[in-house]
Amino acid sequence: MSGPTVKIVNIVESLLINNDLAAGRNQRRLAEAGVLTINVMAAPGAGKTSLIVRTLEALRDQARVGVIEGDIAGSVDTERVLAAGARDAVQINTGGNCHLEANMVDRALTELDLSQLDLLLLENVGNLVCPTHWALGEHLKLCLVGAAEGDDKPVKYPEMFAVSDVIVLNKIDLIDHVDFNREFFLESVRALNPGVPVFEVSCRTGAGIAEWAAWLLAQRAALGGAAATTEVA
Amino acid sequence: MHELSVMAYMLERVEGHAERLGATKVIAINLVVGERSSFVDDSLLFYFEMLTPGTRAEGALLNLRRTLMRCHCPPCDTDFHPTGADFRCPRCDTVGQVTDDGTELLIESLEVVT
Ligand SMILES: Nc1nc2c(ncn2[C@@H]2O[C@H](COP(=O)(O)OP(=O)(O)OP(=O)(O)O)[C@@H](O)[C@H]2O)c(=O)[nH]1
Ligand SMILES: [Mg+2]
Ligand SMILES: [Zn+2]
Ligand SMILES: [Zn+2]
Repeated sequence: MSGPTVKIVNIVESLLINNDLAAGRNQRRLAEAGVLTINVMAAPGAGKTSLIVRTLEALRDQARVGVIEGDIAGSVDTERVLAAGARDAVQINTGGNCHLEANMVDRALTELDLSQLDLLLLENVGNLVCPTHWALGEHLKLCLVGAAEGDDKPVKYPEMFAVSDVIVLNKIDLIDHVDFNREFFLESVRALNPGVPVFEVSCRTGAGIAEWAAWLLAQRAALGGAAATTEVA
Repeated sequence: MHELSVMAYMLERVEGHAERLGATKVIAINLVVGERSSFVDDSLLFYFEMLTPGTRAEGALLNLRRTLMRCHCPPCDTDFHPTGADFRCPRCDTVGQVTDDGTELLIESLEVVT
């Protein structure tokens, strides 16, 4: 009889495979329902809720938009988006967790009537590190940066900018007051993600919002389904 | 704190593998962690130590293999490691193109006792 043996076993799988699998299930559910889902990622205070509010206002007559608000605690942002015209909004309190995870979104989805939605905006927890790794089942990853945070964000948080499908530079009304080098920002973004669309907006003045909203609507139309092309009553 | 949930997920997965393999103990976990993940080694190790007591991975070695991000400079036709200040080539100052290197976040292998 032989005693205990030591074995080396090759695994080679993503550390977060369990989350990836849960995200895949969310994605199938959202795709079946024809709900284009955007994971809105940014640093705290960059303007995630402000962009969601502006988007809701811009798309009010063109799409039915739901929102999932991820926050460490509180429900202020959920109240804001409902007041701005969200069809439905669900709050996820992450209980201290610095990012949303696919199983949290799974639970939130059961509280939404997906057949009543064309678009779903997920406001992630404010943080430029973790949300890049935790897939939620979204169709598109959006990285939002406020000009006041500095033009060096792509250099400091490369993965966030590399994995994003669209980048929104917010607070351009402040750009001349905060030493934000736009050329440097854009060159770093291009180095990480050559073809990514970049929208420059101000959620304060509304500049650039119409272009952003039109792009988003076009993405929804590309997903297919009748709802995207019909006017919302 | 970003490392806590990553370690918790990793450990859950490792426990699953140990179970499947009929292992009584996990003695080493070999991970590949790319530079682009922004995860910090010390924090990964800290949370690992915090989470393992009472599991099959208690006392296991957590080996972290790091991979680096790279940038390609077309005019020089070489790769370089970005300085952290920008993505410009140290030789010719052209803005490089970041490659796919350094994105890994993998469980590579386990050493277990069966
Ligand atoms: N000047 C200026 N201020 C803005 C703009 N967009 C948002 N803000 C302000 O920035 C602050 C934060 O905006 P929020 O939309 O709450 O940001 P957030 O990313 O949702 O913040 P958290 O959810 O707390 O992480 C608020 O005081 C907004 O009024 C903008 O375009 N220009
Ligand atoms: Mg907010
Ligand atoms: Zn985190
Ligand atoms: Zn060069």
